[in-house]
Amino acid sequence: MKIPLEPGYILHHYPYRDTSLLLEVFTRHHGRVGLVARGARSGRSRLRGLLQVFSPLLLSWHARGELGTLSGAETNGPVPVLPGKRIMSAYYLNELLLRMMTRNDPHPELFTSYASAIDRLASGEAGEITLRMFEKSLLQELGYGLLLDQDAETGHSVNPDDLYEYQLEKGPVAVTRSSAGGLCFTGRSLLALHRGELDDPASLRDARLLMRHAIALYTGKRPLRTREVLRQWTVSQ
Amino acid sequence: MSVPQLIGQLVETLRCLPGVGPKSAQRMAYHLLERDREGGRKLGRALLEAMDGIGYCRECRTFSDIEVCTLCANDRRDNGLLCVVETPADVIALEQATGYQGKYFVLMGHMSPLDGIGPAELGLDVLESRLRSGQVREIILATNPTVEGEATAHYIGELAGLYDVRATRIAHGVPLGGELEYIDGGTLSHAFSGRRDLY
Repeated sequence: MKIPLEPGYILHHYPYRDTSLLLEVFTRHHGRVGLVARGARSGRSRLRGLLQVFSPLLLSWHARGELGTLSGAETNGPVPVLPGKRIMSAYYLNELLLRMMTRNDPHPELFTSYASAIDRLASGEAGEITLRMFEKSLLQELGYGLLLDQDAETGHSVNPDDLYEYQLEKGPVAVTRSSAGGLCFTGRSLLALHRGELDDPASLRDARLLMRHAIALYTGKRPLRTREVLRQWTVSQ
Repeated sequence: MSVPQLIGQLVETLRCLPGVGPKSAQRMAYHLLERDREGGRKLGRALLEAMDGIGYCRECRTFSDIEVCTLCANDRRDNGLLCVVETPADVIALEQATGYQGKYFVLMGHMSPLDGIGPAELGLDVLESRLRSGQVREIILATNPTVEGEATAHYIGELAGLYDVRATRIAHGVPLGGELEYIDGGTLSHAFSGRRDLY
């Protein structure tokens, strides 16, 4: 099957044979796809400069079996410039997609959120909010969406002034201050994440904690590598 | 026809070289056996000596058969300039093409967060102690213009800032003799935003 000029991003690349590259790409209509770029590492290759992570591309390939063969690539917009630590945030997005998505499972909505997250990281907008909102839409799209505006046991709307224990894979359950344990958040934080309004520092901190636990449930025991590299980066500076 | 075991083994071993498949490996093996046994013996000895004798320079981490490589030991070179590159081949390329008279630091790779290669894996603590020593005035970041190379350059740049060392990045742009029409968009936009005064 031939696929012409499909919008996509390279998530990761590995050297393959002597002069080729193995690409993991995320495309709008075909989801995550594994592609071989023949000769892309040789000095004469036209594709060498083009096949970079985070750049919007138009990819053409022949699909046969598990891996396709890249037949062409063009740019699909300006190359984003990700200064300093923002590049680590962008790598984190890629690692999440690689760990949580299976191949050949299309998620056009998620593709849109990814593209806009990369744009926002490049334009220097609030990086942490961008990450949290991408994590939320990632869980949503993959069918693990978080219940945030209703009590999981009573079904009542979440009240901003109450305290809730968040039970993963279930939802928030109202608790009293004395019995609070585990993952506890104010209703205000949960609603802020639900609406995507994470401007206040407390809700942002809570969203980070909740997302970290929720994401860990689906990425398995192996720790995320980008997180470890970012930790080294932060410690040394 | 069955091939003698030793020849089979030689052909199989030659295939560890890049770009050598079964056919070329067989051609090489028969060439050495038929025409150049002495060359073959020399190759064997040179390989053994190199594999056992070559380590890393203590200062710049490039390949070296002595503790401090000749480039680092040369005291006519400027200790205040430090050029950071990804591979030993990059050192040779720069030496041949430029009149650079400073020292080098070879990373032996670049940061690749998704493969778990971060500052620690690149030996950046060695580089940091070099910066801390206060000898370096300027650090020239000559990593490749790829996303990974840029990330590495950014990190080292921030590190240099901590020690008040000036960090510069090599320019990237239109190749000499190139035509704008045929240059990829990324390179062209870099070249354009990095333009400079003519005089």
